[in-house]
Amino acid sequence: MLKSSFTKKMPGIFLLVGLFVLLSLVWVSPSQASEPKQQTEEYCLSCHSNPDLSLTLPSGETLSLYVNSDELQTSVHSPNGIECEACHTNITTYPHPAINYQNKRELTRVYYTACQKCHPDNYSRTQDSMHDQVAEAGNLNAPVCTDCHGSHYIHPPSEPRTLIPETCGNCHIQEFSIYQASVHGNALIQESNPDVPVCTTCHGVHNIHDPRTQQFRVLEPDLCASCHANQEMMAKYGLSADVYSLYSLSWHGVDVSVYQARWPTIQHTSAVCTDCHGIHDILKPDDPSSSVNPKNLLVTCQKCHPGVSSNWTGAWTGHYKVSLQRTPILFYVDSFYSIFTPAILWICGIYVALQFIRFMVDRVRRSL
Amino acid sequence: MTNQHPPSSTSPDHPVRLVRTFPRFSVSQRSEHAVFLLCIAILLLTGLPQKFNTSTWSQAIISSPARLNLFQQIHHITALVLSALVLYHLGKAIYLIARRKLPGDMLPTFQDVKDAWNMLLYLIFIKKQKPAFGKFNFEQKVTYWFLFFSVGIMIVSGFIMWFPDVVTRLLPGGVIPGAIMAHSTEAIVTTIFVILWHFYHVHLERLNLSIFSGWLNEEDMHSYHSLEYDQLIHKANTDQDPGEIKS
Repeated sequence: MLKSSFTKKMPGIFLLVGLFVLLSLVWVSPSQASEPKQQTEEYCLSCHSNPDLSLTLPSGETLSLYVNSDELQTSVHSPNGIECEACHTNITTYPHPAINYQNKRELTRVYYTACQKCHPDNYSRTQDSMHDQVAEAGNLNAPVCTDCHGSHYIHPPSEPRTLIPETCGNCHIQEFSIYQASVHGNALIQESNPDVPVCTTCHGVHNIHDPRTQQFRVLEPDLCASCHANQEMMAKYGLSADVYSLYSLSWHGVDVSVYQARWPTIQHTSAVCTDCHGIHDILKPDDPSSSVNPKNLLVTCQKCHPGVSSNWTGAWTGHYKVSLQRTPILFYVDSFYSIFTPAILWICGIYVALQFIRFMVDRVRRSL
Repeated sequence: MTNQHPPSSTSPDHPVRLVRTFPRFSVSQRSEHAVFLLCIAILLLTGLPQKFNTSTWSQAIISSPARLNLFQQIHHITALVLSALVLYHLGKAIYLIARRKLPGDMLPTFQDVKDAWNMLLYLIFIKKQKPAFGKFNFEQKVTYWFLFFSVGIMIVSGFIMWFPDVVTRLLPGGVIPGAIMAHSTEAIVTTIFVILWHFYHVHLERLNLSIFSGWLNEEDMHSYHSLEYDQLIHKANTDQDPGEIKS
């Protein structure tokens, strides 16, 4: 009966659709035509705009099914025509298919895979990440896309820039609070400084790797150098941009560069930037609580060189060029050899050359 | 003072020609040179790859951290041998000074400065004759004293690098980067010196193996150490046949 009545109505439906297509051709201007039309959102929101709409999962958790329409409009997806069913692929009509997730986390970890449809590169990057490794090892709290970016209300993640450490700080609470007190974090929060590193500057974004590995450690001076060897940027803050190049000449730096170039995976103990300056807690060297403040330097050295005396800190040339004021002994040694070496080379060279010439001339004369 | 070696007593056709040899270095001095040469060679072979660690040849030799560790151990052991040698050499010198028996022919004198000046004039064709030299000419004295101070610098700076924590209990920390630079640069200067100066004089100018054999032949004695030669001949004559002079 139903089928027959439907077939009877067929011509009418065709007419209606045809009319709609014609009308849309007439009414919709080209600029409007490029904007996709919202079709399902309004339909879904007819129920999901109810703040009380929720369901209870088998775990006992209450899953709110409310979607704030206004906030949804500010998200990056909705205004670009990416609608509910783009992510909620299994829901096409009402009534919805039954939900068989035990808890909220399980639901999140299934739904986020929808991101890869449009963001395959970043999605696959996350699969190389530390977070993914942790999840595979059984920690289901390891973040997925939506944990950092949000789900319905997605905004550009770096606007404002201060948002980045806050996002990471949701889980990495201790690191975040230490970072906030550091010279970098402080400048970010107090001055909205655009140059200081945020979490992602050093750790990467989607493919965040374990920073405790030897590979990370051996490349760490280069990481700091990406800002601290930048003349232009350092000049803005009155900092030396030679710290990296001078470090590379130091005992530590030479050692690290050998390991970096040849044995990046082999454990070594020579100090990299963070060993002395700290990691998330880096402070200005003139800050009294900085690990490289002259007052604290001996304790910092003793982390690797236990039991050394207070003279020891004088061995560190402190990222400064050889100068009479700072490093007098090195200055005199350097001055001596900058004269002595070429002098020996020239004196020996010229003397031996003269001797050889005289020897040959004598020989030729005798044979004549 | 002179020995006589009949070189070919087996051929009766030729008249026997006597080759006079003059002792130049004692067994102790020759062994010292041999040990010194060996130490320097090993120290350079194990040290230079560490200094030029970015070059490909160095990376081929020091192919692993274990190899680097081995090189450092060999370097340290050889350094100890060299230090012992230097102590022996200094101890012997002090013993001889105490007994007033130090020959002193290696000590620099004002005559050496004059010799060097005259040699320079000879080399630039102003003088026709080389200056006459004694047992050790100024070139050989320069070799000895250059290496004397060079080895001194290498040993002192080397031990500072080896035991930096002990050294800084007494000395300011600044000596450590100073020692690193001195050790590394002095090694290069010494290598240049030995190759240019010493190798020229003992291999190219003439093949002088007296430090290994212990003796020099009469011809070399006459042309390179004429003062010593004259002195020895005179002394030998007076020692052997004092009556000849009277007649």
